[in-house]
Amino acid sequence: MRVELLGHTPVDPLKGVSKGGLTDNDLLPHAAYTFAIEGISRACSHQLVRHRMASYSQQSQRYTTGKRLSERAVTPNSIGDECETFKGLVDASGEAYGKLVESGVPKEDARFVLPNAAPTSLLMTMDGGSLNHFFGLRCCERAQWEIKDLADEMLLKVIAAAPGLFKETGPYCCQLGYCPEGRFTCSRINEVQERYRGLLEEN
Amino acid sequence: MKLELICHTPDVETLIATAILTTTSGAQPSTLYKRLKNNPEEARTAVGRLELQHGSILEHNRFTWTLEATEGEVLRIILENRFFTFTPIGENKWLVSANLRTILEYSEKMKDGFGAALVDSVREFAPSLKAFRGRRE
Repeated sequence: MRVELLGHTPVDPLKGVSKGGLTDNDLLPHAAYTFAIEGISRACSHQLVRHRMASYSQQSQRYTTGKRLSERAVTPNSIGDECETFKGLVDASGEAYGKLVESGVPKEDARFVLPNAAPTSLLMTMDGGSLNHFFGLRCCERAQWEIKDLADEMLLKVIAAAPGLFKETGPYCCQLGYCPEGRFTCSRINEVQERYRGLLEEN
Repeated sequence: MKLELICHTPDVETLIATAILTTTSGAQPSTLYKRLKNNPEEARTAVGRLELQHGSILEHNRFTWTLEATEGEVLRIILENRFFTFTPIGENKWLVSANLRTILEYSEKMKDGFGAALVDSVREFAPSLKAFRGRRE
């Protein structure tokens, strides 16, 4: 996975206009952040696009090739590179895709055999308010590992680009001061809060 | 209504071209962005070919203005297009922001003074867009 912040709206001119009358949280919806997100799995991008207050331009499987799937597939740590069951299915899927394309099946149909492990890349733009909500949910210990890794990477990029503006961000337990997950809580709120406080201070 | 542009996403045309090519090319978006930033002519060509129907490509940016308008005028804008973001900053004074897709869709449909002022304030940042070239001709 690779994440790059390609561009964002400068916030200082907004602070000048509001003359201190608006809080940072008031300004966040007026600032947009555009990321290049590369090499995540299709499983991860399915979760990502559930965040509707954002804009996405994703590599289309109608146009790009699904070849070399065995080398490029995203493998969860819980499965590992040596797992024959996983590897066998990815190899077979890549092989079936290649055969279908060679036999004249259009890529838009051949892609039906590709697994959720297939890699994808996309351009994503989110405003600051939506980003805080995204971090609140996806930096949480309960989030699935790949989108949590992505959210943590994005958080580091925005706090480096706009120091101070995202000073109270992180998973919702950091933003709210309590865990809103109820009985699903990880029960490690102090440890999580300390970790993200440390991240924000370092950057 | 008085509209004044305060700030915007930099390199608007480069980002539009990156979005276009990301969807159809096997290259990574960060690689495309760097290539297009170093080759503005390629970015201009890609943006110039874009039709408005592919509106999502125009969403990777944000423009923010101050606007002097009554609450009624603001309500009419929001009812017409829910993708504008407004924050009050004084009596009849607002911070308003939107992306290029919202700006173009509003101005094409409403053909009013607010839409024209929006377009005039952003045209120079994406001069290769057909929608802007058409308006000049």
